[in-house]
Amino acid sequence: MTSYAPASARAARSASPHRAARSRARRRRALVWVADHAVAVGLACAFVGPIVFVMLTSVMTDQQSLSSDLWPRHWQWSNYTTVFRTAPFGTWLINTVVYAVAATGAMLLSSIPIAYALARFRFRGRNAAFLAVITMMMLPPQVLVIPMYLMWARLHLTGTIWPLVIPSLFGDAFSVFLLRQFLLTIPEDYLNAARVDGCSELRVLTRVVLPMMRPAVVAVGLFAFFNAWNDYYGPLIYTGETPAHWTLALGLASFKTSHAVQWNLTMAATLIAMAPVIIVFFFAQKAFIEGVTLTGVKG
Amino acid sequence: MSTLTATGTRSAGAPDAAPAPALRARHRRNRLRVLLFLAPGLVGFAVFLVYPLVMTVWLSFTNSNMISPAQFVGLRNYRFMLDSDPQIWQAVRNTGWLVVIMVPAQVLFALGVAMVTARLKAGAGLFRTLFYLPALAPPVAATVAFVCMFNPSSGPVNQLLGLVGIHGPLWFDSPSWSKPALTLLALWGSGTVMVIFLAALLDVPAEQYEAAELDGANPWQRFRYVTLPAISPVVLFATVTGVIAGLQYFTQAMVAAQVANGNIQAAPGYPNGSTMTFPEELYTSGFNQFHAGYACALAVVLFLVSMAFTLVLLRRASGFNPQETQETPL
Amino acid sequence: MPGSQHRRGFHTARARRRSCAVALAAATALVASACSTGGGTSGPDTGAGDTSPVTITFWHGFSSPHEIASVGAVLALFHKKYPYITVKAVPAETDDKVNQAIRGGTAPDVDASFNAANVGGWCSSGAFLDLTADIQADHVDLGQIPKAVQSYTAFGGKRCTMPWLADTFGLYYNKKLFAAAGITAPPKTMSELAADARKLTVLNPDGSIKVAGFMPYLGAYEMLTEHLVTSWGGSWLKADGSSNVGTDPAFAAAMTWQKSLVDWFGAAKLAKFKAGMPDEFSAQNSFETGNLAMMVDGEWRTAFIKNDKSTVDYGTAPMPVADTMPQLYGSGYVGGNVIGIPRGSKHPDAAWKLVKFLTTDTEAVTTLADAIGNVPTTLPALDSPSLTLAQDPKFATFLDVFKNPHTSTTPASADGGAYLTNYGLFANKWQSGQIPDLQAGLKAVDRQNDAALKLGQ
Repeated sequence: MTSYAPASARAARSASPHRAARSRARRRRALVWVADHAVAVGLACAFVGPIVFVMLTSVMTDQQSLSSDLWPRHWQWSNYTTVFRTAPFGTWLINTVVYAVAATGAMLLSSIPIAYALARFRFRGRNAAFLAVITMMMLPPQVLVIPMYLMWARLHLTGTIWPLVIPSLFGDAFSVFLLRQFLLTIPEDYLNAARVDGCSELRVLTRVVLPMMRPAVVAVGLFAFFNAWNDYYGPLIYTGETPAHWTLALGLASFKTSHAVQWNLTMAATLIAMAPVIIVFFFAQKAFIEGVTLTGVKG
Repeated sequence: MSTLTATGTRSAGAPDAAPAPALRARHRRNRLRVLLFLAPGLVGFAVFLVYPLVMTVWLSFTNSNMISPAQFVGLRNYRFMLDSDPQIWQAVRNTGWLVVIMVPAQVLFALGVAMVTARLKAGAGLFRTLFYLPALAPPVAATVAFVCMFNPSSGPVNQLLGLVGIHGPLWFDSPSWSKPALTLLALWGSGTVMVIFLAALLDVPAEQYEAAELDGANPWQRFRYVTLPAISPVVLFATVTGVIAGLQYFTQAMVAAQVANGNIQAAPGYPNGSTMTFPEELYTSGFNQFHAGYACALAVVLFLVSMAFTLVLLRRASGFNPQETQETPL
Repeated sequence: MPGSQHRRGFHTARARRRSCAVALAAATALVASACSTGGGTSGPDTGAGDTSPVTITFWHGFSSPHEIASVGAVLALFHKKYPYITVKAVPAETDDKVNQAIRGGTAPDVDASFNAANVGGWCSSGAFLDLTADIQADHVDLGQIPKAVQSYTAFGGKRCTMPWLADTFGLYYNKKLFAAAGITAPPKTMSELAADARKLTVLNPDGSIKVAGFMPYLGAYEMLTEHLVTSWGGSWLKADGSSNVGTDPAFAAAMTWQKSLVDWFGAAKLAKFKAGMPDEFSAQNSFETGNLAMMVDGEWRTAFIKNDKSTVDYGTAPMPVADTMPQLYGSGYVGGNVIGIPRGSKHPDAAWKLVKFLTTDTEAVTTLADAIGNVPTTLPALDSPSLTLAQDPKFATFLDVFKNPHTSTTPASADGGAYLTNYGLFANKWQSGQIPDLQAGLKAVDRQNDAALKLGQ
């Protein structure tokens, strides 16, 4: 643009190349800005599209959901009540909440002290203990499933959600790992100050450390909650024979084939399983992202 | 783990020749305290890891069917695995495909998305939220939604492809496209890895980029010599955990087969066994057929392979190395 | 668990359809589990002559409301005969669930299954109790049960189940579409079936299938290899229980016929059509909406067409047979519902009384068969004048198929039906063109089946 500004060209001869470069840079930056954001918008559509699709299909009629129309011709909201009438989604929803809440509570109760001990106490075998945590974290659950099933069968607890909840009382490896990573970032001085005041370790943990690790506890709690909420394998193994004890994930997986329904009801059920997660996420986004960051940052 | 003798106390640095009785009492108290804090973990370790692991190995040498008492059969299950199981090699190939193609695709895609997000000047937070959101969708729900979207007859994906003149494949109904379709599902849910990468990218000091730019480095060189070294531990972490998740891949494969098939018959691995993964084979043998002993033999193999990858992680990733954890004397 | 049901044949798919009332099932299951985990409110069985009150649990797979009610009515007859035995029925159960319950020690006292292919696994693993001693003690005459039915309910010398009604397969055809295509009678040979299928097929402008004359693609509704090979008189196992598919020419012939029809349509086109077929047991079933002109299906479809208020004008006929084997015409595939006492039953004596009543009492058998539109499994019931189903010509087709001496089934095997899983996988690969050499492929299936059989020992 500046190249054909003859009036000021001579006067500005010395300054012009500089200004031209700056302007070019600005223009390039603007283009890059547009390109970056265009890519981001495209990606956002790809990421959000499936959820929008589920919502739209969930209010279609039977007939339309078998066609390839994208926009509901008639908004059939009654699909949502039909879902609850067709299959015991209410029961499954309650089971899922019970499982998720109980497992999360039990996990926090047991994992915080373990993580604290691993991060803050010195004792022989600490490294080995940490290795054990990593091993348990990385171990595919399928490796142990047969003996575990036999064990719970001997205790007459198969067919219920107890085999899914009870292990959380004895520490969850992933949570211990995450909490430990966070605890390592707390400066020792804070703890020592409390100790000098004569606090026992338990009091140090509950009064000083716990308030400081709130974000980590929230993140780990949310992860545990959604892990249980999303779990398919565990309920499949342990509650398979008793539909009354199924969770949403299990019920949803067989909903279409076992109830002879079409895609519209299936998508309504899908949204019912997704919605709580999405809602909680919007309220607790920050804790989530911080928690995820914590997983990797030390890696 | 077994020797939980407390060695460190607040006075750990003191010479321990003839410790005073008070000190010894403190030692004892400390030992007790460690035990108390770790007690649930120790019980869990014994009951939910050591015991079942030993039992898995034992049962893999038996004909257990989880009903009648198991009898020792030597290496029969392992021999069956190596020469006769009609489905096992396909399952190994499928799981291998997921590990070799799906996992790297997911890591690269997440890295790409993270790099785009890191460059955004406006709305970065909103975009990050939108990109992360699908990672939280329950796997069963996400899989059901994808099977519906990719239905070759009524789904919108092939319809949209048709608009731009592409004759879409059969996706979840085609033996050669079912795993690529599962990969797309994995990419959609790769937000967790993306957030980790994003945090790592934002941690790279800006001065390093500026210095590189002054040295005349082009964007690729800046990525290669500044970004990559800085984030490589995180990439390694994501890759190894991804591989381990790939070895366990079960839910999505099972649900996709079941929903796409419509008719429940011949569902596992539908279509044509192309989505039958190793853990699914294990589940089917143990719980649908009466071959729990054989399932345990498969479990032993799965254990060895995933432990090999865990070792890589332990040796290479600093955060997992207990030696480097900060030693704070109490 | 429902998801994992592999190759559990039509019966399981049907079980699913029947779980329309899982809500009810769930409620009942809650009650049932409360009772069984509590150790039972009733005293233990002390002997056959004991008539102290006892409550037993009974799992079955029926789940549509009218089926549950029908079972309830028959159980009321039982309670009238044995007032001291109360039966708690739990509907909508599946085989995987009962297997899981047996392993977990929470099995019911009596279990009914839609899938006779599991009988071999149950008998040989000890998952179900051998009923021979009870049968002898009560002098039950097994002669009243047709021979074929006797064979699929026992295995390896152990009679661990009894037959409780059966399902029989035949050809359903759309009369309106037949008339439009100028076809006057249902096909009797497989060549006629293929020719009619071509005539009846209508394509969309884009080349995709609008109306399929016949759906040769395996896995579409009841189009399964086991329902197909009976038309060539194929037998799955040799006398010693080893696999027969590589030896019996019926299998190669059936596969060749099926593939040639698949190739006429194009496998990809059929796969796409299958993906768009609404659920088999919904009112949008492709046959009921006129998008499928002929199909192989079980006798229960007559009742579904009535219940769905479908306007399809249809007829039924035995499955067409191989051109070279006209003597087979009139026969078909039969699959049985079975009932037995799982290991872990808390009241096996009362349980046996229920099994005996449900499977051999003529009134009990005909009442249920009439109510739910299934085929009765004892000779007296089949010939009973009170069986009203026989008067419906569309249903009578299936009764005739059932009585035909050439009618056959998939035999019980100690491998728990693995031979069918292996074959199904092979057949699916074959139809997609992934098997270059048919004969070598069939031989490979034989080897796989025989190895699987050994693993279970």
